[in-house]
Amino acid sequence: MMKKELGLLLLLVVIFAITGAINPAFLSVVNLLNLANLIGLFGVFALGEGLVIITGGIDLSLGSMFALLGVIFVDLLTTYQVPWPLALLLVLLGGLALGGIQGFLITRLKMQPFIVTLCGLLIYRGAARYYTSDSTRGFGYGDEAATLSNIASGNVAGIPNTFIFLIILALILGVLLHRSVYGRWLYAVGKNEEAARFSGINTNIVIATAYIISGGLAGVSTVMFVFYTNSVSPSSFGNFYELYAIAAAVLGGCSLRGGEGSILGIVLGTALLQVLQNLVNILGIPNSLNFAVMGTVILIGVLADQQLQARRRRKAALAGLARTAPKPTLAQGKPTTAPRGAAALSAATDEQT
Amino acid sequence: MVTAHAAGQPAPALNQPVLELKGIGKEFGAIRALHGVDMRIFPGEVIGLMGDNGAGKSTLVKIIAGNFPPSHGEIRFAGETVHFARPIDARAVGIEVVYQDLALADNLTAAANVFLGRELKRKLGPFSLLDHKAMAARALELFGELRSETRPDDLVKQMSGGQRQAVAIARTRLSNARLVMMDEPTAAISVRQVEQVLGLIHRLKEQGVAVMLISHRMPDVFAVCDRVVVMRRGEKRADKAIGDTSPEEVTSLITGAKEAA
Repeated sequence: MMKKELGLLLLLVVIFAITGAINPAFLSVVNLLNLANLIGLFGVFALGEGLVIITGGIDLSLGSMFALLGVIFVDLLTTYQVPWPLALLLVLLGGLALGGIQGFLITRLKMQPFIVTLCGLLIYRGAARYYTSDSTRGFGYGDEAATLSNIASGNVAGIPNTFIFLIILALILGVLLHRSVYGRWLYAVGKNEEAARFSGINTNIVIATAYIISGGLAGVSTVMFVFYTNSVSPSSFGNFYELYAIAAAVLGGCSLRGGEGSILGIVLGTALLQVLQNLVNILGIPNSLNFAVMGTVILIGVLADQQLQARRRRKAALAGLARTAPKPTLAQGKPTTAPRGAAALSAATDEQT
Repeated sequence: MVTAHAAGQPAPALNQPVLELKGIGKEFGAIRALHGVDMRIFPGEVIGLMGDNGAGKSTLVKIIAGNFPPSHGEIRFAGETVHFARPIDARAVGIEVVYQDLALADNLTAAANVFLGRELKRKLGPFSLLDHKAMAARALELFGELRSETRPDDLVKQMSGGQRQAVAIARTRLSNARLVMMDEPTAAISVRQVEQVLGLIHRLKEQGVAVMLISHRMPDVFAVCDRVVVMRRGEKRADKAIGDTSPEEVTSLITGAKEAA
């Protein structure tokens, strides 16, 4: 499992080195800090998406959630003059609630995650546009939430807070996923839900919790994006962002079939995606090729990973054969087991009578 | 007096059946799946449950495992009448089922699967984290008891069919199950691994666990079972010690060539 992350890290380092050699501006402090900010922004909700993907599901609604929660958040602060801690709380609760509804539909009403979250994508976006009559919401000239703005988009000793948030959340979720019982169950449910249920695990709650966490992280991301762009245009805010999250998770080693992936992998996947986008700009590759470069790298990355895994599996199978081969000669007990069974039988019946 | 009484206690307990079924029947609407099944299983006994598809084997197993209640009859476990509303109730008294498709999570290690749903935890302040070491150590112990070479830290997806069975059976040992029902444990594995699995059943028997082996494979049943119970059309048609019967007789009982024995 660690091999995947190590490979990703290596790839990241190589790309850094090559791009840095071609254009030293890539390694300038300004660019690196900008990169860190973007990784933070796009990493937080990718973590939630990763958890959902590990359960074998998918969350397509994140970008629309940003739009809906974003317009509500800005409206709360500007139109209704709600104090920022309350507005923040409401947005986070809103994210958790949306995740909870999706989790309920998926686990209790047995709907497919793809359908539920696809409808979420459409509904939230539509609701955001209707609510604002398709007009952009932004902050006025007053500083409605200067404190929160400083927290969400400021920096500590130059390091963007968004990046620090990502690291903190990744550490928390890393412990949750890799060290806690919940994480263990998440992996089990993702791979074999039936087995998990037979083991006495409440699989519905495990799965629903993943969607709720994803919704909550979408709330956090909403606030960070709102203060990054300072305005929310309901028809384009967060458009396609769920795909960045899915791409990051897949690039980071999550399998869409569930049961695989790690927090470190998701963070590295996000970093790689952002580095690729940045590199397109820095190297003067036409901006229109941005998505094409991303797509190609993901395709090659996943393909290479699959090939490597298949090779490792073949090797392991061969090693397994070599290991178990001498066994039949050792346990040449087929003729002896039958009498043993019969002997045991007579002994057992003697006891009973 | 008291000590003598206490010392005398375990002896009748040994002769007491682990599981006793009295007149178990089950109807699904107008379909009668089971009718008047009586059965007793003693500690350390291995019973082969045989029958053609639709004979009522799985219905019986599901009733014992608590998947659904019987329409008629009584289940007694270790002398006490029991009513299972859910599988978890059956597991609580000590009945475990090892399923045919082996309810294991491929992506986890052997130890993780043994402890799935019953993880050992260690407290770290307000948090409780997985205790990987303790689980691996205990799993190794269980595999040792079963004389299986399964390594606790190996991923289940890399294991052979026999090793998977060992993991599934180790799960039942962890909960100290007193009755283990195995659904076709030898169906989809190689000959050499069948041997390993039969060995595992012997280990369970040695430790006083009652085993119910549901199988279509006559040689396996005759190799490990003490008694064979044949079901046909929802009724028990035979219940014989292995020494008193033959594969031919059992076959004719299963197919109905011979009505009852």
